[in-house]
Amino acid sequence: MIEVAELRKHFVAGRGRKAKRVEAVRGVTFAAPNGVITGLVGPNGAGKTTTLRMIGTLVRPDSGWARVDGHDSVASALEVRRRLGVLSDARGLYLRLTARENIRYYGRLRGMDDRSIDATIERLARLIDMSDLLERRTEGFSQGERMKVAIARALVHDPQNLVLDEPSNGLDIMSTRALRELLRRLRDDGKCILMSSHIMQEVAALSERIVIIAHGQAVASGTTAELMAQAGATTLEDAFVTLAGEPITTVLPELGEGAPIEAPVRRGAFP
Amino acid sequence: MMRVIGVVLGKEFVDALRDRRTIFTIILTALLMGPITLVLLANFISGFEEKALARQIYVDGIERAPELANFLARNSMKVLPAPEHYEDEIRAGRLQDAVLVIGQDFSARLAHGDAPTVTLVFDDTRSNAQPSIRRAEAIVQGFEREVRRLRITARGVSPELLTPLTLARHNTATPKQQGAFLLFLIPMFSLIGAMIGSMSAAIDTTAGERERGSLEPLLTNPIDLPALIIGKWLTVASHSCIVVLGTLCSFAVATRLVPSEKIGTLLQFGTPELLRFCLLMLPFAYMVAALQMLVATYGRTYKEAQTYAGYIALVVNFVPLITVFASIRDANWELFVPALAQQVVLARVLRGDSIGAIDYWLPWATATLITALALWALMRLLRREGIIFGR
Repeated sequence: MIEVAELRKHFVAGRGRKAKRVEAVRGVTFAAPNGVITGLVGPNGAGKTTTLRMIGTLVRPDSGWARVDGHDSVASALEVRRRLGVLSDARGLYLRLTARENIRYYGRLRGMDDRSIDATIERLARLIDMSDLLERRTEGFSQGERMKVAIARALVHDPQNLVLDEPSNGLDIMSTRALRELLRRLRDDGKCILMSSHIMQEVAALSERIVIIAHGQAVASGTTAELMAQAGATTLEDAFVTLAGEPITTVLPELGEGAPIEAPVRRGAFP
Repeated sequence: MMRVIGVVLGKEFVDALRDRRTIFTIILTALLMGPITLVLLANFISGFEEKALARQIYVDGIERAPELANFLARNSMKVLPAPEHYEDEIRAGRLQDAVLVIGQDFSARLAHGDAPTVTLVFDDTRSNAQPSIRRAEAIVQGFEREVRRLRITARGVSPELLTPLTLARHNTATPKQQGAFLLFLIPMFSLIGAMIGSMSAAIDTTAGERERGSLEPLLTNPIDLPALIIGKWLTVASHSCIVVLGTLCSFAVATRLVPSEKIGTLLQFGTPELLRFCLLMLPFAYMVAALQMLVATYGRTYKEAQTYAGYIALVVNFVPLITVFASIRDANWELFVPALAQQVVLARVLRGDSIGAIDYWLPWATATLITALALWALMRLLRREGIIFGR
């Protein structure tokens, strides 16, 4: 179970007189329950990655909170990390180590013994089709092969909650299907899965619940049918464009702070 | 905590050992360069000594000076005839020894007490020429002294009057101290060894993680940051220590291989010296490891970090030079300055001077303090969002 409420985060871009305050996340609120795949959708730069990083405890929110199974991401960061498997935006591997050694390192850091690590690796390798990669050094892996290792690494400790930032980036069709299959299986086991994507179809194919993020705020949420009804659109894509493109104050006044939004409205900016 | 340190240490060691090219470079530069330099230098110096001991001199026109020839023969000096165009030969560097040229009417003028001229032709920018110049000057002076004594005695005056005082030479330098000049190299190369040994590992475990994009996922693991940092630091520090030990041992071997007998006795770098060096160098090695990790963390890429680590190398290489330019002797403040402390105390070890407990624990304490501060700063740095995500 992952909950965030009124999360805010700003960054300072540039230095000295050119420094500019960038409001990355301005009050995001949503919940991702257990046994459900929740999709976080939004245009590039909407604040998805920053939100996921705050859940993952590596970014400290300016205000608001993020909780994983009821544990606060700031006050009990280690507990949150224990309950979380994260496939972050950065998914670098150690190139001189084999795929198995890469995954095993994370298992050991989490205090697992080698037998259960190897058992998990074998199981995951069958599920995402990477058995023949295991004993190879990751140097020279294709983007998709690297992604598989990173996913296995994030799942090695069988986390109750899973946060995935753009998980299907770089995967071919077969691997994407394998990944979807894996995520559905985890969902059926009662795991809480939160994934972000900027591809609507991707999320629609997998997520029961969709949260649309735009301009640093959660502008709408619900099932695909609910979102289409809310936007008065006949296709999901139209619904998305309407919901993500409109200034928040007009679409969802109750979520907005009433403050004027400086970012230009990206009407129809989404493919 | 200990478990995480162990896991990190194990992984980083496997990772580093598979980096064959870096390991090869380290072995080549740190373990071979020093001893090779030492052996070459020792060869050069012993060649120098042989020259100084050689009892021979180039003379042009010895037939014009039978008196001098007689003097040289009595002093068992071998006279070599100067080559035909000796001046050109010397100028071109083909002849490095000085040539003594006898004037035309040497014998006649000497007999009349008319101070005949002898000319010494040499090029003193040739480092090999020095011994032969000094030898020729000594011969001329010796000949002069003899003639003077004979003349004064012939006039019934005691020759003692001509030597109002006696200069007795008493050199307090022990053979060890004379060799210490050569052994300036060993402290210098072991300081450099500590740098070279830790550099690539320090960068790979910090800026390397940032460049690969493996830092962010690594930090999502539920581990204490201090444990992670200590594990990484132990890896880097042991690289540094291993290279220092290797450098010192290879020097110990090299000093036994030095050919010249005289130099061989001067270079006493045996087991006791080796142990003292290790005691002094190991704290320095782990301090350098921590400092290099700290500065390398600022680097977004391996290359950028190399530049920053280069600054530290520059300082460490520069500090020992202070002992060369400013002749500080046996003050205690330099024990507080890392690198300088090592250089000063190691020089004392090699000179055979006595070493007190303070000479060990003071550099050790400063190194430990700086290490702790560097690791603490590194921990603060790895909590900064700009470092974790800034790629």
